[in-house]
Amino acid sequence: QEFQFGPCRVEGITLQELWDAFWAIKDIVQAKDNITSVRLLRKEILQNVSDAESCYLIHALLKFYLNTIFKNYHDKAADFRVRKSFSTLANNFVVLLSKLQPSQENKRFSGHDSARRRFLLFQRAFKQLDIEAAQTKALGEVDILLTWMEKFYHL
Amino acid sequence: MKNVLQWSPPEGLQGAELTYTVQYFIYGQKKWLNKSECRNISRTCCDLSVETSDYEHQYYAKVKAIWETNCSKWAETGRFYPFLETQIGPPEVALSTDEKSISIVLTAPEKWKRNPEESSISMQQIYSNLKYNVSVYNAKSNKTWSQCVTNRTLVLSWLEPDTLYCVRVESFVPGPPRLARPSEKRCVRTRKDQTSALK
Repeated sequence: QEFQFGPCRVEGITLQELWDAFWAIKDIVQAKDNITSVRLLRKEILQNVSDAESCYLIHALLKFYLNTIFKNYHDKAADFRVRKSFSTLANNFVVLLSKLQPSQENKRFSGHDSARRRFLLFQRAFKQLDIEAAQTKALGEVDILLTWMEKFYHL
Repeated sequence: MKNVLQWSPPEGLQGAELTYTVQYFIYGQKKWLNKSECRNISRTCCDLSVETSDYEHQYYAKVKAIWETNCSKWAETGRFYPFLETQIGPPEVALSTDEKSISIVLTAPEKWKRNPEESSISMQQIYSNLKYNVSVYNAKSNKTWSQCVTNRTLVLSWLEPDTLYCVRVESFVPGPPRLARPSEKRCVRTRKDQTSALK
């Protein structure tokens, strides 16, 4: 089982574990998201992502999720009584990010510019919302992220 | 991907002449949208398959009850993601047999179609990681075993001759917990052992 994001290969992550963890928090977190007129991970951000772009994009998204969302959501996860699943998700993201090594260093970000534009669309939409609402929304959209990641997963 | 909204009548209004109105919403867009065929209806379900046919979008739906000059609050669903939450139908199962083996050929279920003339889309095209849980029952030993396969063809070998075997198959996609419906039970008898017949 491994992820192959273009030049970046990641072994040792079980995607089913991520799905199970998210599914345990999905209803609670999505119900807290009242701004249904905004979708952060819009279709055009994750549609037709080339292999060359995929490593940069997943790297940028995971880093953002860890530094901006997961880092500040621990207490809330405890309030929602989903800390265990939340931690499973966060820990897997940490491992995945740390393992995102390209087979050749210069290849990692060959699709850099277009991938960066995609990420900035996401980040801009995030910044237009109140930070707490945006964090809840981004966490509620992990199913969209995992659905996209699944395309790069090989059993 | 046939998506039907269902609800129960409100409590405490038995005998009142109730009608219902449904609206749906595409996550990330701006407005609730009407479903004209589900305005002032008396049934308690509404087929939103056409409106939710883009399975990469996420949706909400809501319904309210109307009676006399009153109307209830809206009752709203959670966020619905057809790609992750659709129930996968069973495959088509074809069996053929000889003395000690059964060959199984599976055909992936098809996506819901708006009308029969539409071209068929196999769920295999939508879910490249589609797999099958095949369970086999030996009527003589009353034992069942099952295995998960990815290929469309499977040969069960080393079976007992002249024995009835029943097969049931469920489509399965790894990932979030999706409901699945197993196929009808199909039974076939392995042929008699020719060597014992010649004695």
